[in-house]
Amino acid sequence: MQAATRNTPLAIEAAMSAIANPRRRQILRLVWDAERSAGDIAATVHEVSWPAISQSLRLLKNSGLVIERRQGTHRFYKADRRGLGPLEAVLRQMWTHDLGRLRELAEQEARSRKKRHD
Amino acid sequence: MIEDLTGAIEVTQRIEASPEIVFAYLTDSQRFVAWMGVGAQLDPRPGGRYRIDVDGVHIVSGEYQVVDPPRRLVMSWGWEGHPTVPPGSTTVEIILTPERGATILTLRHLGLPDEGERRLHTDGWTQYMSQLAAAGSRN
Repeated sequence: MQAATRNTPLAIEAAMSAIANPRRRQILRLVWDAERSAGDIAATVHEVSWPAISQSLRLLKNSGLVIERRQGTHRFYKADRRGLGPLEAVLRQMWTHDLGRLRELAEQEARSRKKRHD
Repeated sequence: MIEDLTGAIEVTQRIEASPEIVFAYLTDSQRFVAWMGVGAQLDPRPGGRYRIDVDGVHIVSGEYQVVDPPRRLVMSWGWEGHPTVPPGSTTVEIILTPERGATILTLRHLGLPDEGERRLHTDGWTQYMSQLAAAGSRN
């Protein structure tokens, strides 16, 4: 995973770029209610090539929006609906990231104040 | 402390600084933007409003409900333009507990869409994301 740039909630960025693409939105809707095999998805989204679909699935998986399950040589996909789905994960990651930054800054300030008192 | 944990997430941090310093990072605009967003207008008093420019594209805004320095902060929270999590729709509660010179910060984000709203939410989230993507590509 890429290093987080300051103030950029990683999950929001990842989910945003993942869902920005209409094909990926279409795939996400397909797997929202039921798990589907890669072949099934490719058959439904038939106007695009398999490599393009495969790449979309990989991106959705990497951004935490879709879970992949392998069975033999087959791959199955479904939307990640644990907790509140993407929102909960996005918010949790955002707050954890930002509050980590707050902690560093507050601790720096506490140390420099203490030095002045010593 | 707000007891209803429906649709809630909780994040805890132990910070080696006094609650007074931590509280300043939550309510002082200049200190605030050092850890969240690229711009912030904060009016930290009950009924006061805040607006945070998260990254030049996302705007979060809301209203302070409880401002009790240096212990507790409660505010409404939402993304401007979001169909299911707009400003006013969710609540963020931050509690600072002193512990031997340090502070335990507990942040709870409450009132997130429940199970019945998930489908709606996904549609909303998708719509919001595509709006943001469109806005982002114009910049």
